[in-house]
Amino acid sequence: MGGVRILEWFAPAVPLEGVDWEAVYREEMPRVFNYFRYRGLERATAEDLTSATFEKAWRARERYRKDRAAVSTWLLAIGRNVAIDHFRRSRPEVPLVEDTATDEETPETAALRAGQSRRLTELMRALPERERELLALKYGADATNRAIATLTGLSESNVGTILHRTVVSLRSRWDEGGPQ
Amino acid sequence: MSDDFLSRLREEPRPEFKDRLESRLHEIDAREGERRSAPSPYRRFAPAFAGAALAAALAFAFTLEPVRAAAREFLDLFRVKRFAAVPVDPARLERLAKGGLDFKSLVADQVQVVVAPQPPEAVDSPEAGAVRAGITAQLPAVLPARTELAEAKLSPAASFRVQVDTGKLEALALAAGADEIEIPAFWNGATIDVEVPPVLGVRYARKTDAAGAALPREDSFVLLQSAIPQVELPEGFDLATLGRLGLRLAGMSAIEAESFSRAIDWRSTLLVPVPVQGGTFREVEVSGHKGLLVTFRPPAPADASAPRPRAQGLVLWLTDDKVMALQGPGSSEGIELLEMAQSIR
Repeated sequence: MGGVRILEWFAPAVPLEGVDWEAVYREEMPRVFNYFRYRGLERATAEDLTSATFEKAWRARERYRKDRAAVSTWLLAIGRNVAIDHFRRSRPEVPLVEDTATDEETPETAALRAGQSRRLTELMRALPERERELLALKYGADATNRAIATLTGLSESNVGTILHRTVVSLRSRWDEGGPQ
Repeated sequence: MSDDFLSRLREEPRPEFKDRLESRLHEIDAREGERRSAPSPYRRFAPAFAGAALAAALAFAFTLEPVRAAAREFLDLFRVKRFAAVPVDPARLERLAKGGLDFKSLVADQVQVVVAPQPPEAVDSPEAGAVRAGITAQLPAVLPARTELAEAKLSPAASFRVQVDTGKLEALALAAGADEIEIPAFWNGATIDVEVPPVLGVRYARKTDAAGAALPREDSFVLLQSAIPQVELPEGFDLATLGRLGLRLAGMSAIEAESFSRAIDWRSTLLVPVPVQGGTFREVEVSGHKGLLVTFRPPAPADASAPRPRAQGLVLWLTDDKVMALQGPGSSEGIELLEMAQSIR
């Protein structure tokens, strides 16, 4: 009996699922935010959806299982569902970056960056949904090909092939637009 | 093929957004904490006081079986003198639970909370916490590289009253297939007063690795110490019977449980379960006291891109007047943990 009781306490004492959620928030929030930005959403909407993602994740933290997926992958899975719900309701396609300078930028740099982002958004908008999603996960959320495969159900090699093909195509069209 | 043009547009979220969302998450914690009347998982000391929970559980485990009777002359004294590891198959317990065995209700229905356990509270220093715990703080003189004292907390005392229900114990025995164990009828209705002593927890954090990279909180070392719980048992109370029931639930055969049961002194030995998969244990000596080193290597995550969690170790030992536990990252040899434990004065 004693052994059984101890086991109940012992398991959490060795933090098998031990996750420092504060560190997770610090490290993963920018990635989730950029995932939404790369899905072509304006900053305010990306912030709303990032909030929705973390609030859902926060309430479900106790159900997170480390042995099933990295916490970044788990958060992106929630984020993708949030994005799907959002796009089901509305489908705004707006510039990736607004014309607002950050504290570190001069107005000229900000304008250049905004111009680049508009071009990139236009190029991405012409892509099929699947390719756009893969780009947002890869370059917005900085996810590995393996994590993307887990999230999308594609094979890892398939993810790599699609991404390579898409980047080559985008790069070509990007370069056609002249010096950046 | 350069893909820089795709990644250079990543941007940092606005600091005000970052702060606002963080506050909202804290609010969720506060609301859920109130709803569940339980400590929030969004806490700075989580690994440490998962450990404190362990210590409290150890204390509680000491006291599950015995009964405090009104007349002291009828009592034997149970005082833990050593720890012994017992391999446990968590999958078996899970199967038993799936089969309808509700461990929590079997125990909780019989437990009345006299002094509710409180979440651990921050103290100014380990010494200040020790004064409140009624113990003398013992701290490590040697810390692993780049490791320093991060915080100290005190888990207040709690007490419970448990009423033995032989019907439920028999149900447990039945579920475990342990029909060879007879639960004495005279146990029924016996009242057990359980007192969990205050636990002092001190966390030592290693913030960066040798290359200066930030380390996860799992890399913290947590030292727990509390007075040794003493338990008064009514004369004739057979701890070995309950012990055998525990061993059978844990997965031992009737013969193994019987043999194990005969090999240990139930009045002075506390069993520490070690998962059969990924767990190891060995007896160690800490500053002249016999102790137990338990290590556990978590299974590799299904997502192969996820980093494999580090092995965790736990050293348990007893000094003349305290039970000590040191938990932290470590290899199966637990060398770093043991060095730290050996330096505790």
